[in-house]
Amino acid sequence: MTLSTFLSSTLVLGLLEAAPLVLAAIGFTLIYRLNGFTNVAYAENITLGAYFAVIFNSLLGWNFYASIIPAALLSGLLSVVTYLVIFRPSFRRGVGKTELIILSVGVSYFIRYGSRILFGNDLFNFNFSSTSYLKVFGIGVTNIQLICIGLVAVISIGIYFFIYKTNYGEKMRALADNEELAMISGINPTKVSLLIWFIAGSSAGLAGLFYGSFSFVSSSLGWNMILIVIMVSVVGGVGSIRGALVASAFVGIVTSAVNLLSSNSLYGDIVLLIIFIGILKVRKVRV
Amino acid sequence: MRTKALHLQNVVKKYGGRTVVNVPDITFGTHGIEGLIGPNGAGKTTLINLISHKVGMTQGQILYYKDEKEIDISNKSFDEISRLGLVRSNQIIQDFESLSIRESMLLSLATPKYEKFYNIFCDKELRKSTEQEIERYLDYFHFDNPDGHALSAGEKKLLDIIRCMLLKPNFLLMDEPTAGLPQDQTDKVVELMRRKTTEEGMSILIVEHDLDLIWKVSENVFFMAEGEILIQGVPDEVRKNQTVINKYMGEGSNA
Amino acid sequence: MGLLSGYVIYSLSFLLIYIALATILHLQFSITGIVNFGLVGFWGLGMYLFALLQTKLALPFLPALILACALVGMTALLLGRVILNLDGQAILVGTLAFATIIEYLTTTEKWATNGVMGLGTIKMPFDFGRSTDQVFFLLILLCLVLLILYTAKLKTSPYGRLLLSIKDNEVLAQSLGKPTFRHKIIFFTFTCILIGFFGALSAPLYNYIFPRMIGPGVTFTIWIALMLGGRTRLLGGMIGIVATVGLFDYFIETVVPIPTQYAEMVPNFKFALYGLMLILILMFRPLGILGDKKKEGVK
Repeated sequence: MTLSTFLSSTLVLGLLEAAPLVLAAIGFTLIYRLNGFTNVAYAENITLGAYFAVIFNSLLGWNFYASIIPAALLSGLLSVVTYLVIFRPSFRRGVGKTELIILSVGVSYFIRYGSRILFGNDLFNFNFSSTSYLKVFGIGVTNIQLICIGLVAVISIGIYFFIYKTNYGEKMRALADNEELAMISGINPTKVSLLIWFIAGSSAGLAGLFYGSFSFVSSSLGWNMILIVIMVSVVGGVGSIRGALVASAFVGIVTSAVNLLSSNSLYGDIVLLIIFIGILKVRKVRV
Repeated sequence: MRTKALHLQNVVKKYGGRTVVNVPDITFGTHGIEGLIGPNGAGKTTLINLISHKVGMTQGQILYYKDEKEIDISNKSFDEISRLGLVRSNQIIQDFESLSIRESMLLSLATPKYEKFYNIFCDKELRKSTEQEIERYLDYFHFDNPDGHALSAGEKKLLDIIRCMLLKPNFLLMDEPTAGLPQDQTDKVVELMRRKTTEEGMSILIVEHDLDLIWKVSENVFFMAEGEILIQGVPDEVRKNQTVINKYMGEGSNA
Repeated sequence: MGLLSGYVIYSLSFLLIYIALATILHLQFSITGIVNFGLVGFWGLGMYLFALLQTKLALPFLPALILACALVGMTALLLGRVILNLDGQAILVGTLAFATIIEYLTTTEKWATNGVMGLGTIKMPFDFGRSTDQVFFLLILLCLVLLILYTAKLKTSPYGRLLLSIKDNEVLAQSLGKPTFRHKIIFFTFTCILIGFFGALSAPLYNYIFPRMIGPGVTFTIWIALMLGGRTRLLGGMIGIVATVGLFDYFIETVVPIPTQYAEMVPNFKFALYGLMLILILMFRPLGILGDKKKEGVK
């Protein structure tokens, strides 16, 4: 392998890898910024997004692209339900920050194994009507992967503009920054919180769906992603969407570089986790 | 007049470009009890935080004198400074919710010798050797239930002061020590401060808004405004100073 | 000895090890305030190091045990120095990442661990014929009793108060001259060595060890048990483990007859129920089954 093919493979495969991660990190970061805790149950939102798409695509026979829309809506709904039934009452009861994280682990277990009871331990694949192979910088990719990247880009930019450039996004950010101030300026905190949890859930679901479309869907899909998602959000600066974007691209490129150099894909994760622990220290970030 | 305890040189603290404290050259601890006064936002608490290193300085040097030795504490950590005998009490009520009043006092009295993870059988010894000292404070301040938790804000405030006193500091920084205390307890705290400074050679710097207390107990008063120490002198001079009257007592509340 | 033989004694030995881990988590989280989500990493590290020293270097039991614990301690010291002066959520993420790294390494480093094929066979430290398992059980029981006695005594010792003060208000403890970061590192290292120690003791019980044994499920099961039993109480971990692992892994699996076609669904129900219990406990009874001692009145 020459250096130039190594670099271009790393770049192309890295960005493919990073695409769903960007979406997942944006959603995670939104919830973190609003409520200030690491929501581990977010992992299951990612998984269920993929499962919802599987239901429409494989079981009901919908077109893959058509099933994206109900999957995104249902994931957003699931997120809102967990917020209303579990997290909001817990905030009101004054459950501490660490306890909230442990609580979210409980939610995660409940949803993951609950869905395993429903869906079984099987792996699912999506049905694509036509798959063709293309070459980008000499690297073989499928048209599905390219379309997914395009969609991720469109959706991320959409969320970015919604949050930073629209009136409603302004309100959301105000609430995230200072609840009291937001109340005084006439923002309805309940409505805005619901919207944030909905958007976060949808982007998690979309992340899971795209991730699953690259390989397969299983009940541990989200769980396998969540640690990297948390790390990406932490390193990118929690609450910063641009940071999440850069960090995701970094993760994708590092992973694919390590994977090209070694036979075992776990090395990519090991290297990443070590780098992340190091960054945690250097930046002394408040997670 | 005693020898100085603290010497601050070019101490500056900036928050986002705004200078909140700027002290070119000042000496503390030449009297038993000194007072630091000034309007809200003058930077008094920030100055205390800088000396005790609860927050870091932007620039400057702080020298600390103990047993005729000069120690540069500019780069020492918060806990290290406390171990050197430069201790602070807190303006905002602080407590350990898992510890009873007595346990909290024992924590203060436990030296590193007792605090080893393998040394779990030394509690009796510590309690025995400190019993008299603890009882003296408990008799003096009358807590309702010394083996329960500090309940009221007043009890917590007193406990905070007692914890500091038990460390037997050379120099004690007290940030609004009597705020929120009833008059009889305030009198006891003042009496305790006087005794410590005259009998045990402790130096105390108090930050207070209760000016009557300041005029009554301090031997030397510093007036701070807009981050700078403008005036220092004996209480009678400072209270008559035109700048102090204009910048502070003009607010008219306490004077 | 019919009752205490074979599978029963094996199950009880593991129950004791889980109780020990929950008690150590109580030391780390409830007394010191360190949120260790990488518990299984230290446990697995102790287990694998011990197994490697015994099988590859042919060390006898005791030297292998001591060396394994020392290496776990060094790892904990290093990790502690990096993350323990960060805030709780960073410690949580850092320890979780650490455990994940250990799990992955046992899979990738086939030259040492045989990867997913498993590492073995790990021998018992002694041979008493048919009662070897019972004697080993008694050894674990002894270690657990010592651990619980230590924990009980620590709570009323000056060091215990120091740790509680760090958990409650670290800055205030520093203002009293306590070097809190140093003590957190020391105590974290010490307790992680204990975790590694019980990991090493688990190796001969398993006989053969695999990477999937040290997945995050172990950590979370122990967290759930501690929360369920009562995190502020000495015996909270024990009660929690009996109510979760004891009930599901041993009682239901050994006593309740489950048709084979449903057997593979049992773990799913188990973990879903663990999750539900954790949610209900944290929302409605945050201090667990045993509750708070304070409200019963302190001596």
